[in-house]
Amino acid sequence: MECKLAVSLMHDYLDDDLPELQQRELKEHLLSCPDCRAKFKELEQTDMLMFSLMHQNAVASDDLVSRIMDSLPKPKKERAFITWIKRHPALTAASVFLLVMLMSSVTFWNQDQQLVVRGSDLDQVVIQGDTVIVPSGKTITGNLTVENGKTQVYGEVNGNVTVIDGTLYKASTAHISGQVKSIDQAVSWLWYKVTNMFSEVAYR
Amino acid sequence: MEGRLTKLALKGDQRAFAELVELYKDKIYHLAYRMLNNRHEAEDIVQETFLRVYRNLDRYDDKQKFSTWIYRIGTNLCIDRLRKRKPTYSLDAEMNDQEGIDGYSMIPSDNVTPETELLLSETQRVIYEAIDSLPVKYRSVMILRYLQDLSLQEISDVLGMPVTTIKTRVHRGREFLRKKLGPKM
Repeated sequence: MECKLAVSLMHDYLDDDLPELQQRELKEHLLSCPDCRAKFKELEQTDMLMFSLMHQNAVASDDLVSRIMDSLPKPKKERAFITWIKRHPALTAASVFLLVMLMSSVTFWNQDQQLVVRGSDLDQVVIQGDTVIVPSGKTITGNLTVENGKTQVYGEVNGNVTVIDGTLYKASTAHISGQVKSIDQAVSWLWYKVTNMFSEVAYR
Repeated sequence: MEGRLTKLALKGDQRAFAELVELYKDKIYHLAYRMLNNRHEAEDIVQETFLRVYRNLDRYDDKQKFSTWIYRIGTNLCIDRLRKRKPTYSLDAEMNDQEGIDGYSMIPSDNVTPETELLLSETQRVIYEAIDSLPVKYRSVMILRYLQDLSLQEISDVLGMPVTTIKTRVHRGREFLRKKLGPKM
């Protein structure tokens, strides 16, 4: 074995990277070559010194950990919100859907400022501006619904009276055989719309 | 374990991250201290390393060892720092008139207080001087090999270089140190 090759094998040996067969070849060479033997001893000592001395740890200052923790950027609220969204895609989709529904309903509600009168016997009813009057002596058979207006009942109604976003005045002569309902809140209005839609669909 | 801690830290658990800091601060400090031979700069590097780890937690791939990842960040920061402060002449170049003495040994070491002087044996000082006189590309490899006990494969992962290159550098680095230490051993 040439000495140059032997040196290369020595390094491999110190790196734990030399197959057993070559280890034996190296050993044979070292036994026969005093120069290489001396060199191997030096390399081995260097290796050992490096390992032993390097493991005497240099220690960082005690407050380093707290300094590191303090230097970290604080997590932003916005970021937390975004990660929440990322983690709950189904919930996010559902709430966006609900929001859109709510927005459209609310805009419909705001647009609906017109006076609307619904009922089965409307020719008995007198309408003056935004006031709906059931005159005394007249009888309305069926339900009466008034949206966005004042309602004054002097006569008789054989059914329910529903007033949405308006006022109801009942004279002493008035007689309503059914239920009287006043709706003026967005939520109950919505509820009314929804149930109304369903019953309409059901009756058609 | 590090994988679990990084996941917790990513969810915003500050205590989990503090635990990671506890686990690795001394290792990174030691690495930086031996690379830069300066206490303040070493602490700066440790701080910067953990800041980068924290910012990039979401990019950490847990198929990779956490130690490999953090050593890569720390080593790269040290190499950058050395590159920036590289003077117009090389400290590695030996001076003509005094053989064996180079720029590094002429810079007063900043860690010598009466107490540490007692603790530092002659051999230790010789070894540290020898390491400091290694060219940077050998120094980083030797420090990872001996200080952090990394295998050749791990060093190649940390530095992003082929194992054969790492092997050559370890051999040359060891040869360099042997020549420096030889007469003193």
